[in-house]
Amino acid sequence: MTATLAALEHWSGGLWPYLVVILFGFLPSEIWRWASVFLVRGLSEDAEILVWVRAVATALLAGVVAKLLLVPSGALAVVPVFWRWGALGAGILAFFVFRKSMIAGVIFGEIVLISAALLATG
Amino acid sequence: MPDDSSPSLKSPRQAALAGMKAAAGLPSFMLMASLIGVGGLCRDVGYPMGAAVASTILVWAGPAQMVLFGSIAAGVALPLIAVAICVSSIRFVPMCMSILPMMREPAIPARDGQPAQKGTPTWLLLILAHFVAVTAWVEGMRRLPAMPKPERIPYFLAFASTVMLAAAFSTGAGYYLIAKLPPALAAGLLFTSPIYFTVALAAGARQSVDWLALVLGFGAAPLVALVVPAGFDLMVGGIGMGTLAYAIHRLQRARRSSGAGT
Repeated sequence: MTATLAALEHWSGGLWPYLVVILFGFLPSEIWRWASVFLVRGLSEDAEILVWVRAVATALLAGVVAKLLLVPSGALAVVPVFWRWGALGAGILAFFVFRKSMIAGVIFGEIVLISAALLATG
Repeated sequence: MPDDSSPSLKSPRQAALAGMKAAAGLPSFMLMASLIGVGGLCRDVGYPMGAAVASTILVWAGPAQMVLFGSIAAGVALPLIAVAICVSSIRFVPMCMSILPMMREPAIPARDGQPAQKGTPTWLLLILAHFVAVTAWVEGMRRLPAMPKPERIPYFLAFASTVMLAAAFSTGAGYYLIAKLPPALAAGLLFTSPIYFTVALAAGARQSVDWLALVLGFGAAPLVALVVPAGFDLMVGGIGMGTLAYAIHRLQRARRSSGAGT
């Protein structure tokens, strides 16, 4: 495997980075999108199973958000955990106070987070 | 039933313009903020700027792109990186499965002198599927149901390609800019995805089942992460909490329909 990859790298020369993006980034993620096209064959828009599929997708995304805050990467890790959740809470609060305004939610959340980051990093 | 002759029906071109307009604000800004870091990661491994931009256009999933370049930097073997990306991208299945039927036109056989209508061709569905990622999904789920069916594909394609273009531009710019960013601003950029996804999900929640899935998925994530091996926890939590939300929704519906008698 390693020898094959090394040969491929040598053979592709300057195009190797692009080949890496296609073979090890694009293909492993794209197969799921393609698979879905065949999985939804014959399913109508209001099929009952899609209510469940949609609930799974929503719960999954909520999990992604929680994980981004629980196990933050890089610069976000300098912000103490209380303020990461506090900033999210402030954003949600602003979203509802300003009549479900997404922009208000994002702006208020960001203000709280960046202020906390400034204080934390001095 | 002549139900699609509404006078307010937009032409494909008008629908596409509406999609571009919707993309130009918050969604593009959010994607630009979250993908600017990918450019820097790509530079760190010594790849050209084009590879960073190609990853945004082809992989079209911020976390997977960060895993790709971050793992190459850490010296992880390429086949292992592909496995990690493959596992994390399973989340596209429920996303694509819930949004594609909203856009697909069914094939209608010829009848009563009406010519047969071809349904949305598979190649077009494959292209639509490629554009599905968190941003296009949350915005699509929120906006598409209110639109007449013929407007949905041009709207979605225009929306998604506009945010992709903005994200690709930002990835390329990040390749040169990211090195010297104040830490507080860098933290703010990384926070854009979680805060945007949260308010977009809240804005898109229409039924009680959406709210249940949102709250359960969010609340269960810390517990699931403790029990399930990393890499699979999101999938297990998503299927588990999504199913629980759906089960509660079914119970409520059953109780409501039998509630009048009891």
